[in-house]
Amino acid sequence: MENVIELTHHDMVMLFLRLCFMLFAARMFAELARKLKQPAVVGEIIAGILLGPTVFGMLLPDLFNSTYGNQPGADLVIDGLVQISVVLLLFIAGLEVELNVVWNQGRKAAIIAFFSVAVPLLAGFAVALNLPVLLGMPEEERVVSAMFFGLSISITGLAVLARILIDLEMFKTKAGLLMIAAAMIIDVLAWVIFSIILSVKGESTEGLGVFLTIGLTLGFTFLMLTAGKGILNKILPWINQKMAWPGGLLSISLALCFLAAAFTESIGIHATFGAFIMGVALGDSQHMTEKAKEILHQFINNIFAPIFFISIGIKLNFIEGFNPGIVGVIVLVGWLAKVYGSYLGSKLSGIKRKKSLVIGVGLNSRGSVDIVLALIALEAGLISEPIFIGLVVLALLSSLGTAPLIKWISPALAGASGDQAPEE
Amino acid sequence: MFEKIAVALAFSPRLEALICETQRMARLFEASVVFIHVGAPNLEEETILRNKLQAHGFNPDTCKIIWEEGEPTPKIIEVCNRENIDLLITGALKREPFFRQHFSSVARKMIRKGNISLLVLLEPQLEPRPFREIVINGTDHERTPEIIAKGIEVALLEKAKRVHILNEVQLLGLRMSMAGEGTHAEVEKTRRSLVHDEVAKIEQILKTLDTGDLKINIKIVSGKPGHEIARFTEKTEADLLILRSPDHKLNIFDRLFPHDLEYILGDLPSNLLIIHENRKGRLWKT
Repeated sequence: MENVIELTHHDMVMLFLRLCFMLFAARMFAELARKLKQPAVVGEIIAGILLGPTVFGMLLPDLFNSTYGNQPGADLVIDGLVQISVVLLLFIAGLEVELNVVWNQGRKAAIIAFFSVAVPLLAGFAVALNLPVLLGMPEEERVVSAMFFGLSISITGLAVLARILIDLEMFKTKAGLLMIAAAMIIDVLAWVIFSIILSVKGESTEGLGVFLTIGLTLGFTFLMLTAGKGILNKILPWINQKMAWPGGLLSISLALCFLAAAFTESIGIHATFGAFIMGVALGDSQHMTEKAKEILHQFINNIFAPIFFISIGIKLNFIEGFNPGIVGVIVLVGWLAKVYGSYLGSKLSGIKRKKSLVIGVGLNSRGSVDIVLALIALEAGLISEPIFIGLVVLALLSSLGTAPLIKWISPALAGASGDQAPEE
Repeated sequence: MFEKIAVALAFSPRLEALICETQRMARLFEASVVFIHVGAPNLEEETILRNKLQAHGFNPDTCKIIWEEGEPTPKIIEVCNRENIDLLITGALKREPFFRQHFSSVARKMIRKGNISLLVLLEPQLEPRPFREIVINGTDHERTPEIIAKGIEVALLEKAKRVHILNEVQLLGLRMSMAGEGTHAEVEKTRRSLVHDEVAKIEQILKTLDTGDLKINIKIVSGKPGHEIARFTEKTEADLLILRSPDHKLNIFDRLFPHDLEYILGDLPSNLLIIHENRKGRLWKT
């Protein structure tokens, strides 16, 4: 007999109550983070930790169990919402990538991005491969797990970085735009590498093979950013003219996002990759208005992102899973390798030492896409809970520490407008 | 401003109109003129050209007419460099024809690969008209003050009715979504401040220039820079769009992943004046 999960009356009530708590708590803690001049994601993750087994479960276990326990229907729906949230988060991450900004920053941004990914990727891979017992890596998939670990510490959180640069009034400076362009390239690079690693893992290829999956990944990316964009440039003006605005553009954009996600999932590349590349293609179209992008950002950042970030805290016990040794290694390696890699890339592209250091620290901002990647790796059994918790701690510390560090390294750059920023 | 002008001629129905436009430009800028034709010289074409030049106020005996053979775009660039040309005038079609060897594709190739300032005319006229409604690309770049200055100079010479200077708010969507973490009042303040900052940049540049009696409108756009500029130029039915040259020679990747100038080249919104960096050792005549 098949195990059919149904939504009972109790499930429905608890589902809506849980969603209510999640959104309410996320908003409260995001506002608190805002008051402390921190990104909202910091507050949302902390809210999840408080609402989950770490605090709520420890202090009021009976109430915790009646809120979250024995509700398979509600759990399934929430899991589904979390999956949708992950896809949508990557979609807006792709929307944020503006290829014309990347082009304008040119060679420098590409060099910085390359080293910003390569150094932590290799460092993380080497550490994870040589310390499997300490890090609790699964023995049978050590190489793939080590690759995932390296990749997780090499991603920059573009939205978090943008937030920090705006707050420091560095967004319009040369260094600021260079960091943004580099972060955009890092996003694209990281997700292509992620898809390739998945193919090496082999779990999702279902017989397609490593090289074919790599070819499909690169081919899909190239096609979407060329022919795909061409088709979008025909469709979008029609939508803008014939359909209700912005409703038509928003719903068709999301429909395309889910279509791309379904497509890449079906051919053995993760759904998030399709959503991301569709976001890049849509975001780069001249017919995707800034207003529409802003609306999508707001909608997804304020409804779906909190659901995702809070659910992390609700799933895991951050005290039980906290391993100081693992967290220490992750924070040390993650921080040093990322800052040094970005610094090295900047120096090699001809930027002076102090500004290179600022870029190194700036690109160490994390707290969105890197956590998504870590969660996917956790769900695939490639990293353990303690490593995941270490990566979340790394993201939190990076987000909290970036702005003060930049101010300390170069007070002249932080707080300078585009006119006043010192030239390279 | 431009001391030596060249015009790239083809024996097409627009030949005479191009000659008329060149005459107007030569008088406007008080410049000498060089005529360039890429093709094997033959007596018949030479006679046609001489007659047409004479009919429109040029002395074919004293005019410099250069005949070159070979691939048009590199030959024209070679001649312009050799002759120290400041401005090349050429015609172009509004939309780029695909897979056709046509003079208009030469104009676009010149824009992508050339190193000379270009005046690209969509519809050269036998009775040329001055440029009265001008749009200047004032988007943030180290050459923006130079481009605005040159644009204002042209507008003053043309006695333009109105000049629009465009600047853009970069990455507005991303910035407003970040600003969205503030209250409604804070968000609106951020939006206004972003626009105000860009207006202020243009005003700062204009303060250093003599703008005469020109009516100047500063317009802030957001979106893909080249695309928004082209749309605005079409909407205002401007006669002339003044742009800086690209920072590097445009190649196939720029066409596969269009940006900035490539958006404009796909569908020219009006006549274009593309200003290259001043040649070394040669001062602009002011």
